[in-house]
Amino acid sequence: MPSPASVPIAEGVIDVLKNVSRRPIEPTLASDLVADLGFDSLQVFETIAELEDRFDISIPLNDVPATRTVAQIVDRVARLVEERSNA
Amino acid sequence: MTANLRTLTDALAEAARADAGYFFLSAGGETFRSYAEVQTAAWRVARSLVESGLRRGDLVALVLPEADDFLTALFGASTAGLIPASLHAPATTSDLSRYLDLTAAILRASDAKAVVTTSALAPAFEAVRRDCPSLEIVLARETLDAPPIEPDAHPAPDDIAFVQFTSGSTSAPKGVALSHRNLSVNVDAINGPAGLMTRWSDVAVSWLPLNHDMGLVGMALGPLYSARPGVLMSTQAFVKRPVEWLRAITRFRGSISFAPNFAYDLCVRRVKDRDLDGLDLSSWRVAGCGAEPVHADTLAAFAEKFASAGFRATSFLPSYGLAEHVVAATFPPRERVPRSERVSAALLTDERVARPANGGATLTFVSCGVALPDHRVRIAGDDGGALPERHVGEILLAGPSVMVGYYKQPALTDDVVRDGWLHTGDLGYVSNGELFVCGRVKDIIIVNGRKYHPQDLEWAVDDLPGVRRGRVVAFGVVEHGRADRVVIVAEPNGTSPRDELVDAIRRRISDLFGLYVDDVALARGGTVERTTSGKVQRTATRALYERGDLIKV
Repeated sequence: MPSPASVPIAEGVIDVLKNVSRRPIEPTLASDLVADLGFDSLQVFETIAELEDRFDISIPLNDVPATRTVAQIVDRVARLVEERSNA
Repeated sequence: MTANLRTLTDALAEAARADAGYFFLSAGGETFRSYAEVQTAAWRVARSLVESGLRRGDLVALVLPEADDFLTALFGASTAGLIPASLHAPATTSDLSRYLDLTAAILRASDAKAVVTTSALAPAFEAVRRDCPSLEIVLARETLDAPPIEPDAHPAPDDIAFVQFTSGSTSAPKGVALSHRNLSVNVDAINGPAGLMTRWSDVAVSWLPLNHDMGLVGMALGPLYSARPGVLMSTQAFVKRPVEWLRAITRFRGSISFAPNFAYDLCVRRVKDRDLDGLDLSSWRVAGCGAEPVHADTLAAFAEKFASAGFRATSFLPSYGLAEHVVAATFPPRERVPRSERVSAALLTDERVARPANGGATLTFVSCGVALPDHRVRIAGDDGGALPERHVGEILLAGPSVMVGYYKQPALTDDVVRDGWLHTGDLGYVSNGELFVCGRVKDIIIVNGRKYHPQDLEWAVDDLPGVRRGRVVAFGVVEHGRADRVVIVAEPNGTSPRDELVDAIRRRISDLFGLYVDDVALARGGTVERTTSGKVQRTATRALYERGDLIKV
């Protein structure tokens, strides 16, 4: 489960996912991008770019294959946001 | 025509005397490698491969995701008289076992003697050696650093320059084998007056993968054979931010860049208005579009959106080609707005003729132009006879670009190359002497410019615990003007919950091929008939699916 601090991040991530998907989806933390939300690889990359813009972070591309669920994305984004504010 | 016939070795040596080279763009910046440096790196590879015991004509499989590593290894192996073959690297490391099964099947069928890969993947390939009796050695790319001595192999024009495995096909892997002659003729035709008319001021820019014919031959060898600069960025960088492609063109004053239709569409949808200001596409004189059906709407939308950035619709060059014909087969004249035709959908389906409609639904097709010099295009009817203008049939190609064959697969080769004519599996018609591509005979699925063989997708999921063996069918639902929808029909064996099985199938295909399955239909037992022919099985199941008669469970 995400920590309380990551709640706004979770909302932001879900908002990005809804914008990137071109069909009505209701992502939850447990949703799997490919199996549940129907994202193809192009949409996964689009999601990364949108997340980078929204949270002002840089997501290394080698993180991508291991990221499958919304919770994993939220977790990764939260850590990158924290690293940025500590830097 | 053969006045300037060159082997890859000759072309590399000529390029090395110019001051051009490759720019490899990455997140960390850019690396320039002059063609002279590329040649030196290739000689190191060549020498190392020969010293490791490989002999002329041996097949060396390259599994190298980085462009610099891959190209220098390819040139090195080829100039040493070996046969390099490009195999795709795993999309993810989470499901490596199935990837290795697939790759081992290719290594076995092609009698590969060596694998050259990254040091990270080398141990995994070391482990598949026990399943591949002919595989003698697995080499990490960075160990290929012997002193750069010019190889004395001197490949002949009719030697195989390289083999391209598109997607693996497990029972009979299809590796397109191209000779040095094939390459030289096709690349020179591309660069020549009937093609791009490449000049000294040209700069090529590409994000296409190098295990793809348009990426490797069109955009990496094309510049090298004309000793012009080639700017190569990663496919991932493009799909993450399509504007990066246009920024690279802006920054390097790029004049030649090819991409499949989907890439132009992605730019229309995803490049933000605030990013338009920094773009200058006025240098882009050849915007090639190929590798998948070209849509007039996409090109028009792109031209409109980027007109303010200096893009001209006359730069578009809609092209037709395929790996079995090196890469290019037809081009329209340059400096012309793409020519399209709107024809009656009913006449096309019912009578197989392309004529303007008197009312009713229409389909729009874009001209891909005429055959390269010294090459021929023919539209063949079901009986193989040539059809008149505007009649739809299979596109056949003949000439010096037709591949040597599928490597070590004579039966498959004879299937597609008959009496010198390459049977492309694509449907088209000729109008005013120009070729319009309008469909497919074969059950190949095309998504984002990539071809997928249904048998590969079927094989990939056949061993999942919840699936009945041999009762899986994959096909693409082709809709005009849209990307294929990928469908998998499988009969479950009752051991996995329904949702889990659907997820597992999608996940497996995504991991192995990076492909999203639009619909997974779990069907009642007996739906997928057991026949000896996958094609028959596929056709019957697809018909049920498209009629809505498939009984799901």
